[in-house]
Amino acid sequence: MTSHPPRRRATTVAAVALAAASMVLAGCTSSGSTTDTSSGSTAAGTPKPGGTLTVGIVGGSTKDSLDANNPITHPDEARVINLYSPLATFDTNNNIVMDLADKITGSADAKTWTVHLRPGLKFSNGAPITAADVIFTYQRITDPKNPLGGAAALATLERNKMTAPDPQTVVFPFSAPTVTFPETAAGYVNGIVPVGYDPTKPISSGPFMLQAFTPGQQSTFVKNPNYWRTGQPYLDKLVLIDFPDDTARVNALLGGQVDAIDQLPLGQYSVISANPQLKVLESKTGNWDPFTMRVDQPPFNNPLVRQAFRLIVDRQQMVEQVLGGHGTIGNDMYSPLDPCYPSTIPQRAQDIAKAKQLLAEAGQSNLTVTLYTSPVAAGIVEAAQVFAQQAKAAGVTVNVQQVDPGTYYGSQYLKWTFAQDFYFTRNYISQAFASTMPGAPYNETHWSNPQWTALVNQANSTLDPTARCKIIAQAQQIEYDQGGYIIWGFPNNVDAYSSKVSGFVPDKTGIPLSSYGFDNVWLNQ
Amino acid sequence: MTVQLDTVASPQVSRRPRRRGNMVTRALRTTTTKIGLGLTLVILLIAFLGPLVAPHSPTEFVGVPFAKPGNGLLFGTDNLGRDVFSRFLSGGLVLMILAILATVIGVGLGAAVGVQAAYSRGRVDDVLMRGGDVALAFPQIVLALLFLSIIGPKLWLLVVMVAVGHLPRTARVVRGAATAVVERDFVKAAEAVGIARWRIMLTEIVPNVTGTLGVEFGLRLTYSIGLLAGLNFLGLGLQPPAADWGLMINENRIALTVQPWPVLLPILAIAILTVGTNLVTDGLARASAGTDSGVES
Amino acid sequence: MSRMLIRRTLFGIFTLVVVSLVVFLATQTLPGDAAQAILGREATPARLAALREQLHLGGSLPSQYFHWLGNVLTLNFGTSLANQEPVLKVMGPALGNSAVLMFCAAFIAIPLSIGVGTWSALKRDGTLDRSTSVITLVLAALPEFVVGILLVIIFSTGVFHVLPAVFVQNPGDAVWSHPNQLVLPTLTLVLAVSPYIIRIMRATMLEVLDSEYVQQARLKGVPERTVILRHALPNAIGPVAQVIALQLAWLLGGVVLVEYVFRYPGIGFMLTDSVNNRDLPLVQAIVLAIALFYVIVNLIADVITLIANPKVRTAL
Repeated sequence: MTSHPPRRRATTVAAVALAAASMVLAGCTSSGSTTDTSSGSTAAGTPKPGGTLTVGIVGGSTKDSLDANNPITHPDEARVINLYSPLATFDTNNNIVMDLADKITGSADAKTWTVHLRPGLKFSNGAPITAADVIFTYQRITDPKNPLGGAAALATLERNKMTAPDPQTVVFPFSAPTVTFPETAAGYVNGIVPVGYDPTKPISSGPFMLQAFTPGQQSTFVKNPNYWRTGQPYLDKLVLIDFPDDTARVNALLGGQVDAIDQLPLGQYSVISANPQLKVLESKTGNWDPFTMRVDQPPFNNPLVRQAFRLIVDRQQMVEQVLGGHGTIGNDMYSPLDPCYPSTIPQRAQDIAKAKQLLAEAGQSNLTVTLYTSPVAAGIVEAAQVFAQQAKAAGVTVNVQQVDPGTYYGSQYLKWTFAQDFYFTRNYISQAFASTMPGAPYNETHWSNPQWTALVNQANSTLDPTARCKIIAQAQQIEYDQGGYIIWGFPNNVDAYSSKVSGFVPDKTGIPLSSYGFDNVWLNQ
Repeated sequence: MTVQLDTVASPQVSRRPRRRGNMVTRALRTTTTKIGLGLTLVILLIAFLGPLVAPHSPTEFVGVPFAKPGNGLLFGTDNLGRDVFSRFLSGGLVLMILAILATVIGVGLGAAVGVQAAYSRGRVDDVLMRGGDVALAFPQIVLALLFLSIIGPKLWLLVVMVAVGHLPRTARVVRGAATAVVERDFVKAAEAVGIARWRIMLTEIVPNVTGTLGVEFGLRLTYSIGLLAGLNFLGLGLQPPAADWGLMINENRIALTVQPWPVLLPILAIAILTVGTNLVTDGLARASAGTDSGVES
Repeated sequence: MSRMLIRRTLFGIFTLVVVSLVVFLATQTLPGDAAQAILGREATPARLAALREQLHLGGSLPSQYFHWLGNVLTLNFGTSLANQEPVLKVMGPALGNSAVLMFCAAFIAIPLSIGVGTWSALKRDGTLDRSTSVITLVLAALPEFVVGILLVIIFSTGVFHVLPAVFVQNPGDAVWSHPNQLVLPTLTLVLAVSPYIIRIMRATMLEVLDSEYVQQARLKGVPERTVILRHALPNAIGPVAQVIALQLAWLLGGVVLVEYVFRYPGIGFMLTDSVNNRDLPLVQAIVLAIALFYVIVNLIADVITLIANPKVRTAL
């Protein structure tokens, strides 16, 4: 019940950082030398080589997969991140840094992107990683017959026109301006695989190689000797164990069966933090769990009602009660880590009198609505209850209707008038294309605003970061004023690990345990 | 799980019509029955009057989540920072009403079927009782899970599922008791005078199986409470933010080591209540049997 | 006697048919397109078509039923929706794990209850008998999940910290490889089933002890020990065996909540899980498996009763 449904992860495609685009365009020639995944973050001590790290990861089932480009669950995600490296990656501050590539350069119209690979790259079997493998990987991802996790973000890629002028260079042509390409290239779902890749006999481009794999149970990895980062990984061996159950995962950490776990439940926080043998790893993220109001359905087709509902929320209380304070308040705008996030827009605060007045203006005083909720992610059902309680003050009756996850994502999904959802960290343009642009796969608010759509399209073809941020700020302002989301906060990601492990650092991407970056982790003994 | 108590505690059929008050009075002479009644009354009092005296609203936020007792909060807060004591006081009422409702319906219909089967004898009896045997091939909780998974967690469905589970079990026991009664002279006499069958069942047979019915009601009530609390515990009953004992246990189980009260209070209440009703039922069974049936000392 | 057995067996089969009908009809009550409702947002056209095929949607209701029943009879329960594995393969290990748990519980509960019941009968109306009576009455009343959580509070989180609160199965390990994890779930089941067996054992034993042949044996000067072990106990076992069998059957329903409390990877936990995932093929198969077990155990109970009944036995 605690495992997340596949949806978000599959298309999360890794969070996206437009900052990087600017960096790349500014000439990222130097980036090749500054590329530790978690560079800049300071993990104390000198790394010691050797040892086995065992990690308990939330979720997993017999449906678990090793496919580099189609991870569904958290354990899948942890596996592909450690088996395969993408062209670029996100550092712990959610900035794009180079990985297998040492340079990604865009043309002035953002329709052609040139990727240059590091020299001397090898797969785990000793074969060189070449442009042909990159082209194979991207064609595999965008195969129209079987589009994989990263395909949606690569919709504009002209997949049959990719070329390799030399074995270290690939040219990606796009049918429309796509400033988000560097973000896509840094997505963990887009790890590079060799020509003729067979997911059941994985050959690694990442820090580890597979030793054993039992779906729904565990996977064992050993160090990849051909990994391009010299000296890494420090560990000899890595074991990942699936733990769909919260209590079991925490108990395994307390009992020493695992050295680290992701997603520490709030109820166990004080148990772990009080234990000197254990450490809590808490990261601020751009993850968000919004309430979704359908803008085309009464009563929410009236913008006044939407505004009133946004004024009903006591955001600080939400963060306190739902997250136990482990989060930051939101301002009804997503992508807070996007460098273009408009922090100048005033913070919305609870204003019951104003909310009542707006409802009265809309002729909706003493409104009764049903809020559909489901335990699809931590805190969702709890948030619904807190909102229902807060709404009472404004004379609004919110009937919380909890349904099981199967029903929630059933035939009514994306049709509920008033419901909830959850998203991981993404930057604005990518998020818009996932949830608010016309034709977006998860447009649960049915948001459709021509002026706003034009702005997002314009931003997606604007290479100059300053100019783009101005456009994004306008788009954000429209959603802030009229949008269908109530974005009350951004939960922290909370993991826990044994104090004998070093190298974990807070990570803003929203992916647990320093983005499952076990190549940076070592054991103290 | 009181299924097998049928065999253990079902009383002999009374030899002559006996009044219920008599049985209750006699049951109350034993200490365990008195204790049972006391325990039951305490929890009933909490369930029915608790909502009126709760210091806070059950949905009001009074502190940080999982706060330990203190700051004027007798038992700390729950997973959302609500007052555990207030939620506990408010969390028994619906459970109690549902349990009583399900038991009344289940035992009522079961008794009707049982009496009908005993009085009709022959084919009707066979069909009814065989049907009951088939129904018994489903553990009640499995049947409830099957339908709740399909139709969804609805309160009426909870009541129906629990009642439906009781029906064949009660029918079987009541039939057993009534079979002896239908052979008796006063029934034959009534038949000879030409009194309608339904009237005979209602006025001649039923009053003579009240002992069995009383015991059966107690057993089924005990079981209803456990089953309904269990289904709520599984999240298939009352829905958040409702305060409910079963739901409270489930919502707060994760923090058992940190803040045990939101689990412990409802667990104890359910335990005390079921023990209480079972002790009373046991007393009734003994009083109704009249003699030491060999089961009870 | 064999006619009796055949009748019982036929009735058992009839019961299973009715159960299958109920399970099938329950599936059909899903509103709208059952396949769509089950798959939800993962309803790609290919998966919808496959599931419609699997559920045999289309055709008349009876034809759907017989098609489905035919599959069930050939042990083809279809594919689990949650993980796309054959239901039988998913269910197999869980059935085994539940069997281990139930065996442990039965192995402890049966001798313990027979012992305590007999002893209680022999010490009739003594302090020990009276306290046993009250304790069994109390335990019989408690819902099993209440017992389970109370045990967790006592032995894992609250008073002592000696036993694990939940079951953590290391991949590839058998469930019994960490016996300390089995203690609390087993104990919960033992506490749940023992009271009934103890009480019926005591009652039956009292009856037997009062019977003529026991009195006669005593009059003949047979030592009390021999009277109890050779004459009384064997005669008391018959009726008790039936209650034991019923308790075993009950266990399969009882494990649902107990396994849920302890996260024990058995059939009951799988049932609650598949109910949450709306994994209907798995729910159907589990419910049918439980009904089958019920029928078999009841049949065994009937046989034991027949064999234990002296009249029937002599007629053999």
